[in-house]
Amino acid sequence: MLFNSLQYLVFLPVVFLLYWVLPQRLRVPLLLVASYVFYCSWRPIYGLLIFGLTLVTFLLVPYIEKAAKAENGKHIFTAKGWLGVTVAVNLICLAIFKYAYFTVGTVKQGLSLAGIDWKEPHLHIILPLGISFFVFEFIHYAVEVYRGKPVVKSFSALALFAGFFPTQIAGPIKRYQDFVPQLTEKLKFKWEYVDEGMQMILMGLAKKVLLADNLALVVQAGFAHPENFSSVDLWLITYAFAFQIFFDFAGYTDVARGSALLFGYKVPINFNLPYMAANVADFWNRWHISLSTWLRDYLFIPLGGSRCGRILNYRNLFITMALGGLWHGAAMHFLAWGAFQGAVLIMHKEYLRLLDAIGVNKFLAASKESGTIAHKLYHWFSIVATFHIVCIGWVLFRADDMKTAGTIIYKLVMAPVELLHFSASQLAILQIRDPIIFPALLLLLPGLMISQPIITWLNDKKFYQSPPWAVQVSLMVALMCLLTIFSPDSSPRFIYFQF
Amino acid sequence: MESATKTKISAVKPARSRFLVALASFVMLSAGLAHLSFGQTKPTDFPVNTWTTWAIKDFLAEQKKPDVVFMGSSLMLVPLDGTDADHLNRRIDGSAHHKSVYFEDKFKQYSRQKIASYNFALPGEMPSDAALITRFLLKGEKAPKVLVYGVGPRDFMDNLLPSPAATDPFQYLSRFGDWSNRVDLIVPQWQERLNYELGRAFYTYGAKNQLAQNSDRAITSVLNQVAPTPKTDKSQAELVAMRRLLLPDYHPFEINRNECFFRPESQSARPKFEDNISEYRKRYKNLKMETFNGQMQFLADILDTAKERDIHVVLVAMPITDINRNLLSDQSWNLYRSRLRDLASRHQETTTFFDMQETKAFNISDFQDTVHLHSGGGAKLLDMIAKIMAQDKASMAALAPTKGDIADSQAFDRFRQTTRQEAMVEQKESSPL
Repeated sequence: MLFNSLQYLVFLPVVFLLYWVLPQRLRVPLLLVASYVFYCSWRPIYGLLIFGLTLVTFLLVPYIEKAAKAENGKHIFTAKGWLGVTVAVNLICLAIFKYAYFTVGTVKQGLSLAGIDWKEPHLHIILPLGISFFVFEFIHYAVEVYRGKPVVKSFSALALFAGFFPTQIAGPIKRYQDFVPQLTEKLKFKWEYVDEGMQMILMGLAKKVLLADNLALVVQAGFAHPENFSSVDLWLITYAFAFQIFFDFAGYTDVARGSALLFGYKVPINFNLPYMAANVADFWNRWHISLSTWLRDYLFIPLGGSRCGRILNYRNLFITMALGGLWHGAAMHFLAWGAFQGAVLIMHKEYLRLLDAIGVNKFLAASKESGTIAHKLYHWFSIVATFHIVCIGWVLFRADDMKTAGTIIYKLVMAPVELLHFSASQLAILQIRDPIIFPALLLLLPGLMISQPIITWLNDKKFYQSPPWAVQVSLMVALMCLLTIFSPDSSPRFIYFQF
Repeated sequence: MESATKTKISAVKPARSRFLVALASFVMLSAGLAHLSFGQTKPTDFPVNTWTTWAIKDFLAEQKKPDVVFMGSSLMLVPLDGTDADHLNRRIDGSAHHKSVYFEDKFKQYSRQKIASYNFALPGEMPSDAALITRFLLKGEKAPKVLVYGVGPRDFMDNLLPSPAATDPFQYLSRFGDWSNRVDLIVPQWQERLNYELGRAFYTYGAKNQLAQNSDRAITSVLNQVAPTPKTDKSQAELVAMRRLLLPDYHPFEINRNECFFRPESQSARPKFEDNISEYRKRYKNLKMETFNGQMQFLADILDTAKERDIHVVLVAMPITDINRNLLSDQSWNLYRSRLRDLASRHQETTTFFDMQETKAFNISDFQDTVHLHSGGGAKLLDMIAKIMAQDKASMAALAPTKGDIADSQAFDRFRQTTRQEAMVEQKESSPL
């Protein structure tokens, strides 16, 4: 069931009404049943998968706690062993469903390079929706119990933690310490839940339907046939994808958070104006926050984190980001995207060292204190540069394969040469007038780019925390009108559903 | 840039609920816009050109009303246009050629009567679409004297079609009138029904296609000023071709003038027989009785509407190959034919039924795939229809000169009555085939 579908338009109000009508003790079971109905509406058999994984995790994790307590910490290996088993079960499940094709394909390719013709087994595996997300939530739960946090005693609470329908398919990746206690809170209905929740849902749908889906047309064309576009076109298309994926995923997250809030639950945010990041590390503090913090807590730190030598630190960073890339999808271009992120994070650290060595950091710090323009100029330069580095990364992420990514990146790099004798007639996006989003990109993209600092300014002024009542009502009415007019008969799935 | 949630939740009465106020305002705004018919466009103001829109536009633009209108799916369209390409020995633009010159000539040869035809056969046309054509377009000054409707099993048993509302013809034909009396059949699934009811409840949703089209035009007009199309050596057709390459799923049914041609073929040089059996295997899989009954009801509607408007219907069960027929169970095949016969006999005063499959006149060499006749087979089909119609008194009575042609109206009425009675007697005595 998609958030932008008529089924959800019926499903959500029905569950909402039942939830607030039923007594407190029946609410968690209701949400659990609703979440399984939501999941099984896609492919019922996979409901068993999420149930089975929940059951196994529910049964195994208490052994981690018991082992740690019974041996009073002396035989920590046992607890570690149970942790290993729990993590392995989850990862094996993920590996089978998500990486089997990739592994078989890679092995076959490797063998063929060695001159061996291997007849690979015929696989027919359909990737279960959301598996990457609930597997990560289970691993987080097991690790936290290993680190001394309490186990979840109630099976339904753990099942709802992973299966909660608003966040089931594409997160945000929740933390059980934050979510499970909310299940036992005695909540009374408040209109604010509806007001805030519906506002978020409308905003989220607008981001998806009005912006992401329209930008998707240009992106699809550009990435499928880059040879038909000039370098300048491809830069515009790459910017378009940067905003498409942002609005698609942020839109999904808004709907997820808004839906959760209708039931009085709060789930973590995922984005904080990522394209206003002044460096790549900052970007990862603002983009897909629930994933980047997960990777930090359960991969980067266990690998040794940054409390080790420079080389080991860089190794940890690189492995974390490369595996983070592979988490997004079982394909070389995702791995390359992750590796690219790791590499630019390392380069950024080296760049900072260089700035330190030549005294630029000191100069900038002094400029900041004295309020001169140099600091501000450098800040804006950093934002623009970071955005472009991120955009190059998005090419690896979006391209269907490495060859296409290579073609596009080559053209992007050659843009300065093209600009030497540039004319508007070279722009294919101006020649295609239908759909209108192609030429509209020339107005839309600057608008979207300018909107980022404006929103930052509004955030600084605390506008979002208490916007005038009339503004909020008008905004909702406008969104209702726009969504009803421009809702397509069939909207594409959210990008992150495939992960 | 995620929507921020207020951290502090305070008590608010329903009357002050921002969402409820917004919803109420939206409902009122929607009602106001509906009252003003804001942004409504003409039914003929199509956002994109398709086979359907060309057929509608050209039909409405015809100065002279046609005597005979052909309807049906590609089973009828392909042989009609293909035959004319051969007959006229020139390529035929499918979007612009809406008649059967071959049929007109053959009919004249057999009956010595000159008639004008119009081809309303469309790719994928279902009886539900044909019912809308009959009801909304074949009326008043535009009502033909005879309607030749060719049907095949696929028209009633296509399980790949989610609902009658899913066809390209429906999208445009439904603009021309109120089809709410058949809403249960047209949108049988609950999601589609909900979609329909939401469209009725909220004007901005119901009229979204027109409103979106208007805003698209407004944006285009602004962009043409701000970012005009640069000079290019590419022709419009090349640009459209490029867009189709880049976005193959965008406007999948779009077709422009000079894009789809039927070219003359000779018996010795026909394209290779195309095996489309796997496609039809999927289409026929698991006969859905609700689809079958629904489409039969639409066929009944066509015959009823025709009767009301004094249009004679020639219902033709189109020939298909044995390969295709064998995909259907005997039960499905017999049900299909018996229901056609039953409907035709219930409307025998105004309907003549030809079962081409029963004639055994067609064999696999007449087909370009398992269901579509090639131009040679099409010529055979049209020749037979023309001949049978010329011999069929009911059809000839319908095609007889109108009141406008005969000054004495009483004499005209006597003439019509006599020929019709004769035709009924003849129909009861023997089938035309």
